[in-house]
Amino acid sequence: MSPGLHTKPAVVKAASALLTEMQGVSSSLTYAALLTDDGFDVARLPGETDGARFAGMASSMQALGDAVTHELKIGNSEYIIIASGKGYVVQLRVPGKELVLSALWDNDATVGNALAISRSYAQKMADLLK
Amino acid sequence: MAEHVILFTGPMGAGKTTAIESLSEIEVVRTEANNSERHIADKPTTTVALDYGEILIGAEEKVRLYGIPGQKRFDFMWAILKKRAKGMILLVNSDAPDPIEEMLSFIEEFRELYDRGGVVIGVSRADVVAGPTLGDYSDALERTNPDMVIPVFTVDPRNRDQMENVLLALIANIEMRAMFGMMTTEAV
Amino acid sequence: MAVEVNQVAGEPASVSMGFPVTVGWTHAAMAVYSVLRLNTPVNLKMHIEMHSPLLIDFRHHAFSWSTPLEIFPVDAVHTGLETEPTSDAAPPLFELPGQDLDGLLWEMGINSFGGAPAYWLPPDERYRLTRWPNLTQHRHTMQQMQMMAVLGNTFVSTSELAKLTGADESDAQRLINALSLMRILTRTSAAPAAVVVAPTAATKRQSLFGRLRKRLGR
Repeated sequence: MSPGLHTKPAVVKAASALLTEMQGVSSSLTYAALLTDDGFDVARLPGETDGARFAGMASSMQALGDAVTHELKIGNSEYIIIASGKGYVVQLRVPGKELVLSALWDNDATVGNALAISRSYAQKMADLLK
Repeated sequence: MAEHVILFTGPMGAGKTTAIESLSEIEVVRTEANNSERHIADKPTTTVALDYGEILIGAEEKVRLYGIPGQKRFDFMWAILKKRAKGMILLVNSDAPDPIEEMLSFIEEFRELYDRGGVVIGVSRADVVAGPTLGDYSDALERTNPDMVIPVFTVDPRNRDQMENVLLALIANIEMRAMFGMMTTEAV
Repeated sequence: MAVEVNQVAGEPASVSMGFPVTVGWTHAAMAVYSVLRLNTPVNLKMHIEMHSPLLIDFRHHAFSWSTPLEIFPVDAVHTGLETEPTSDAAPPLFELPGQDLDGLLWEMGINSFGGAPAYWLPPDERYRLTRWPNLTQHRHTMQQMQMMAVLGNTFVSTSELAKLTGADESDAQRLINALSLMRILTRTSAAPAAVVVAPTAATKRQSLFGRLRKRLGR
């Protein structure tokens, strides 16, 4: 993957459109970003979050998740959830791509629902890149 | 269990992961992603969270070797990893566009590790390219940090013997600094 | 007994120094020290029994010798030494880059003066490193490394250095000689900044350096 997906205007445009569509599906989605495995922001929903910084953090978290599942010999990490008092982050890899979808939800959404939506949009992103 | 955390720092492509692999007795925990900045460092993958290796000294004592991701966009990991470290091995690659400037910026960024422990600098690929001489690195350090005497060695991060020397020099330095700090206080 | 380098103005031919046949590196170290101190462009050629000539081009801080430093002949028999005035513009004495002169200075300094002070070092002084030698490229002992860690952090005399690290005074002196020949020591005649106490057996046990060194089999 060289150069990265974040440098390809067509990919960035499609990813932005997809995130906007995702936000339309659930009003509990407060922030979302698509980022490369090595921490570059491809697209994000507008918000107060520092997108570049969050992309770095999310990619580190993804890699740590992979390192943990590898260490414990439990296959590949499918998704990561961080729960807090004011909401939670659901993060997963776009199937077959060096791309990660990370989304912040408020407490009005259930984890199951948030995960289902995230999965479906990760798959849509994968289909777009075919 | 006593633990001693040593941090491997420096820009992308300097050889931090390789150096930890040369030293570690356990399979190194790596967090690598495909590198989309091949124009900056021509290598297929890059560390995005940390590398982790260990040297077990006895049943009760470990040297923990942590490597940082070299790119500035991962500086939140730098802040996490430097908290527990007592010393740092700063690697720079001679064939970077401005390795001296990179060295100085990492010294500045991780200055607290010098203040509370010690620092050794390893210059990689010095034998391969006609980059700055070791004297050039030392001159730059003296100019910017006249109070520090930081060891600067050429290293091949793949060479276990050399990396052991670098690690031991760092530990010797940390311990001597601690000792003289203590002795000066006692003498007052 | 200082060996002064004959400088023959306007005469480019090499000059033999009336060098006596000597065993070991003391005279060679003295000659090299003189050239380094004078800092004039001079090439040096050493003739050593059983070895090819050792060439030093000080302008490029380089030397050329077919004998690898890993098998440095401590008891080499020196049969002659020539100096050759040169100029900044003149071509190098051998094909560059050659080998880094520091490697030779290190071996030469360690293996000369028989563990006594180099003749250019006045008595009763304290030393401190201005920069570390490139240790990954020089054969060294763990004790020398530890002594350099002391010298990197404080001014000490040779005997204080020996006491602090448990080294023989002659080994401490050999190191001081080498670092001085490499011109990476600064000196002072001032009193010590801190009280020097020899480490006890207990503090040695407490040293991570000692334990790690043992663990790594060094």
